[in-house]
Amino acid sequence: MAERALDGIRIVELAQGIAGPYCARLCADLGAEVIKVEPPGGDYTRRLGPFPGDIPDPDRSGLFIHLNGNKKGIALDMATDGGKAALGKLLANADVLIESETPGRMSELGLGYEDLKAEFPELVYCSVTPFGQTGPYAKFKGNSLTAMALSGLMYITGDPDKEPLCTGGEPAEYFGALHAWVAMLAALEHRAKTGAGQHVDVSLLEALGSADEYNTTMYAWMGAIRKRYYSRHHIPTYPSEIFPCRDGHVVVIGGATGFPLMMAILIERPELEDDPLFTNLWLRTMQWQKFEEILRPYLLEHDWEDLVVRAQELRVPFAPVLNPQTLLENAHLRERGFFGEIDQPGAGKLPSACNVFRMSETPLQCGPAPVLGEVQKEVGP
Amino acid sequence: MTLPLEGIRVLDFTQVYAGPTCARLLSDLGADVIKVEGVRRMDITRNFVMPENDSSDDYWNKAGYFLLRNGGKRSLTLDFSEESGGAGVEIVKKLIPHCDIVMESFTPHVMEKFGLDYESLKGIRRDIIMISLSGYGQDGPWRDWSAYGMGLEPASGISSITGYRGGDPLRTGISFTDPYSGIVGAGAVLSALIYRRRTGKGQYIDLSEQEAAIPVVGYALMDYAMNGRPPRRMGNRSQWYAPQGCYRCQGEDRWLVLTIRDDAEWQAFCEATGHPEWSTDRRFADVLSRFENHDELDRVITSWTEQQGHIEAMHKLQAAGVMAAAVLSPKEELLDQHLKERGFFDMVETDGNGVRPVPHQLGAKFSAFEMDTGRRAPRLGEHNGEILEGLLGMSPEEVSQLKEQNVIGEEPILGLPIPVMRMFVQWPTTSYLQMGALAAIETDYREQLGIVNGEE
Repeated sequence: MAERALDGIRIVELAQGIAGPYCARLCADLGAEVIKVEPPGGDYTRRLGPFPGDIPDPDRSGLFIHLNGNKKGIALDMATDGGKAALGKLLANADVLIESETPGRMSELGLGYEDLKAEFPELVYCSVTPFGQTGPYAKFKGNSLTAMALSGLMYITGDPDKEPLCTGGEPAEYFGALHAWVAMLAALEHRAKTGAGQHVDVSLLEALGSADEYNTTMYAWMGAIRKRYYSRHHIPTYPSEIFPCRDGHVVVIGGATGFPLMMAILIERPELEDDPLFTNLWLRTMQWQKFEEILRPYLLEHDWEDLVVRAQELRVPFAPVLNPQTLLENAHLRERGFFGEIDQPGAGKLPSACNVFRMSETPLQCGPAPVLGEVQKEVGP
Repeated sequence: MTLPLEGIRVLDFTQVYAGPTCARLLSDLGADVIKVEGVRRMDITRNFVMPENDSSDDYWNKAGYFLLRNGGKRSLTLDFSEESGGAGVEIVKKLIPHCDIVMESFTPHVMEKFGLDYESLKGIRRDIIMISLSGYGQDGPWRDWSAYGMGLEPASGISSITGYRGGDPLRTGISFTDPYSGIVGAGAVLSALIYRRRTGKGQYIDLSEQEAAIPVVGYALMDYAMNGRPPRRMGNRSQWYAPQGCYRCQGEDRWLVLTIRDDAEWQAFCEATGHPEWSTDRRFADVLSRFENHDELDRVITSWTEQQGHIEAMHKLQAAGVMAAAVLSPKEELLDQHLKERGFFDMVETDGNGVRPVPHQLGAKFSAFEMDTGRRAPRLGEHNGEILEGLLGMSPEEVSQLKEQNVIGEEPILGLPIPVMRMFVQWPTTSYLQMGALAAIETDYREQLGIVNGEE
């Protein structure tokens, strides 16, 4: 068996939802042993689907399976002494605890960091919550949408004449997962140097807010308040956005070398090489509607793959707009071996978005998620 | 105070956004990051976001965008072009024994061409950790594709589930996969460091920005795999809860988002808004009817929100236990009380342009140490002498010779005449305002942010 980067690291995951569990899944794919502690009814993502044939079943929730691969499961009721005693036994052998309760709740249960640190001085205690452990919003309810709103990212996403738009797929949860993962690994490195554990406080809002490319900066450097404007950047690059084409959509990006010649060749209108909309970036940026009148009809007569391949041959960085089907069928991803396959008890063979990066010595691995029934049996009454 | 990556040195060849974010995180955690740029190939983000939109003087040392991802690093310029006869490459080879991590984001095979691929570096230092960040990875049919950040969010599938109901796919208003894969890269490097600590072995990491972000589409992928169902773009609605949306508030372009997950939260919402009659309205009685009558429900909710200030409405609803948040503009985010109390923005003393707020790049706080954030960005080539003399033991004469040969330098050799560059670097903000791509330009922004410096 190949070695894994995090072999020997033991994690107790007391988290539900997306951020905490995906953080732990990354660790599990890297070789850590993750014991997922669920409440007796199971992690709530077991109820969120999607389900095969749309028939609800806590062991067949696609989201749960996606987030909890490679973990061992156990069900414990933290409100009972038995549950707490069992958790204590798990923590005695653990390097990391990941939890996602509303700030204050773990302390009420006698499981706050301050309660545990004397007994487990080397424990890295990682809290992953919508707003962090402190500050006026600490106890606010939150999700990816509230983080999109308060991080400023929503204000700058969408069309200028419509309501602000949130990015699909609960992005703040995944950003939160990554920040928790990086912070936790850093805490483990710190422990290797000092011998001490600690409390790591991760905020989904701050995790997403840190992705602010240059929006607060535009205000703090020049007093300009950026507003959503289709898919467009302010860095002078127009066009760099998604257009419909014959069989779907394509990302048209001129890049550093696209104009005027390459784009004129690409859309088979060489005479446009001298057109001011092609030669003058500022004019194109300001009079974008006129430019689109030229571009859109051509795109609608061509397929995305043809457009992207021909653009790339001209070194113009067009990109594909993939969807679940085209991702799963994609020859490039297949050749790279991005998707793994798991055999999920009750749900059969499923793809697993596993190889988020490749390590030459310690490849990632994917595996099935724990089944709730088994989880409950193990603990017993 | 001990930082986790004290004693770790990173040689960072990356540019723009993803790679520099990755290196910045390692720097904040205590690593010594040497950022390598070329005098003929400086990081292009040195051109983005000038103080007062002013592109005069040495503008490349003043860019706000560059500071965000490069604060705290040391700057070394090295030229790899043929004009300087490979001297840059030789210096890199001398630096490798002093480095633990090498990061690069060239198109695949560029490092190989310089003789700086992983196998060559491993020959110099056995336990070196190297990470390549690229758009589509180091192999596979798309590996040589030219990739810009704005293309990779759609390529990862995220745009297929982002957009208004019935509309085209849309991108987030940032280069989403850049910060995303930058953080993935930092975690990959930390994992490799943990493995090296245990085994003494280094390794090579191939990170494709397209691949790194695909897990965000996990739900829709599973729905396709299980049911063959294509994804839907739902605007701001949820597949799980109703109502969820973004609602107009009092004032120009002010909005509130909210998610109501169950009947109890619906009751709480109706009470808090002073409309107990909505809670007994049969059209909204349970989650299924709320899904069915979502359009009507949106009108009802808007009839309340449009009478409210967006921030006041958030506080009112959250006090009642309803998940709600104001949609903040970048300016409002800078002034937000919660982020302020959390210390999310460092007040960075810049190089000659006063104090400016800079958001943290890692959304975490540690009880045992404080990250080393809040440092200014290095001027181009600022640490050339310090690194070449201090680390490699070169003489000042050797360093001056390298400068004469343009292998190192403190001034960029630009591809376009400097007046042309100055024009590009200054953004056409007035036109952006007219187009509606800016909401406002406020000349008193420093007073508003409380960062006026005693320069009078």
